Amino acid sequence: MRQAVANVGAGALRVAEEVGGIVILTGQTLRALVPPRVDTRELVKNLYKMGNRSVPIVVLTAFFAGGLMTLQTGPFVKKLGATALAGWGAGYAVLREIGPILIALMFSGRVGANNTAELATMTVTEQLDGLRALAIDPVRFLVVPRVLAMMVMLVALTVIGDLVALTGASVVGHAMLDIEWSTMFHSFADNLRPYDFLHGVYKSIAFGAAIAMSSCYFGVTVRGGAVGVGRAVNAAVVAAAVSIMLLDFFLTYLTG
Amino acid sequence: MTRFAETIGDAIVAAVRAVRDLWLVYVGTVAGLVRKSRVPHRGEVARQLYAIGNRSLVFVIVTLGFIGMVMTYEACLQLSRVVGDYTQVGPQYLRLVISDFAPTLTALMLATRVGAGIAAEIGSMKVTEQIDALRMSGVLPIDYLIVPRFVASVIMTLVLSTVGGAVMYAAGGLTAQYSFGVNPNNFYGLQFVRPRHVVMMIVKALSYGAAIPVVAGFCGLRARGSSEGVGWATTAAVIGSSFAVIVLDFVISAAALFVTGGDL
Repeated sequence: MRQAVANVGAGALRVAEEVGGIVILTGQTLRALVPPRVDTRELVKNLYKMGNRSVPIVVLTAFFAGGLMTLQTGPFVKKLGATALAGWGAGYAVLREIGPILIALMFSGRVGANNTAELATMTVTEQLDGLRALAIDPVRFLVVPRVLAMMVMLVALTVIGDLVALTGASVVGHAMLDIEWSTMFHSFADNLRPYDFLHGVYKSIAFGAAIAMSSCYFGVTVRGGAVGVGRAVNAAVVAAAVSIMLLDFFLTYLTG
Repeated sequence: MTRFAETIGDAIVAAVRAVRDLWLVYVGTVAGLVRKSRVPHRGEVARQLYAIGNRSLVFVIVTLGFIGMVMTYEACLQLSRVVGDYTQVGPQYLRLVISDFAPTLTALMLATRVGAGIAAEIGSMKVTEQIDALRMSGVLPIDYLIVPRFVASVIMTLVLSTVGGAVMYAAGGLTAQYSFGVNPNNFYGLQFVRPRHVVMMIVKALSYGAAIPVVAGFCGLRARGSSEGVGWATTAAVIGSSFAVIVLDFVISAAALFVTGGDL
């Protein structure tokens, strides 16, 4: 019994330590941005690596996600004979929830995990100490460009992904449920409002920040060689997944 | 032009090789499962059941609980604009939770937690040459490392999907009741759930549970170099197993639509 209480307490302390560390790193990042001097070369390199190279996986994921939404809502809509509403269900779900969340999860897996692995490798091979010895602030040089690149690119990828997902929804609706292209298009155009799209984009800004901060935090605080790097990547993706879900909930309530 | 063709050719060859290796890991796992005598003692399976199942419970409950609240909130919000009749929300939501959301979202969460964990563990063993040591001792790494994780993951994905679905549904019910005043008697109803939805959930959970450890183990066994290689393997495992879940979801849903003749 005492052991169980001790375990719960230890878990709570660990979570508090991690959250605190992420908040402190966020503060340092913001402070490094006050006179906005960002290493442009590092920023461009990260924008390319995190954004352009992620397009294939995001496009594939979004296409399947959009198709799935039609598969789930389509049969019900067809049974009621209201195919004009097919795009309503699929489009609404894609733009507001499924699109931003799935793309953020894939982004966290590809870019966030990769970033943690890279920073963690630099940390365990003492490259960060090397930078400090040269009087270069690792936060300013390494963390800030990565955070900016992830936030910008997740928003861009979400916009692309939304479009692909709606295309996927129409293709699956046409191929499997015999819904006309024009029906699907009018269904999107009549039932979706610009705010539905913006709502998803707002969320992706927050998701990008959460993924960036957690992945950088676990990367720079890693300890203990190759085993430590694997564990850091694991912890970073778990933290990113939890924060995506929590942020999604609060943002949905706050912004309706 | 030649270089462009070379790049594409290289990518295709690498992809075909990766698929072949992944298939070999899968076959090796199934073969190891069939030859029962070679499977390590039960203690290892129990340990993996605990590591994959119990240790993921809080994570799954938190994430699925929150997403369940969000989904009901969004659905009710949209209905309030269009029809204003909430009586069908709960039963329809339950149908979707059982046939899709519960297994798929649970598996996506497990792909990040368990997939990354398996790849990090096996990848670390690979780069510290423990896998070679196993092979030298006449033990097949797949039998010793992946088979117990495979068994544990298949069982635990189904269990956690059930728990996660229940949490999702309950969280959704509470949101509907307190934010939109939906009567719980209307929300908690089984009238749209058919046996085929439950079958779909079981099929999906078992397929995801089988896919995650195989993909993650494959990525871990491919790790090369040192800490950087482990990081790469873990990243590849998260992406590979999440993508496998999404594709399997699509394939199984489409097959179910085909089998039931469009009356899902």
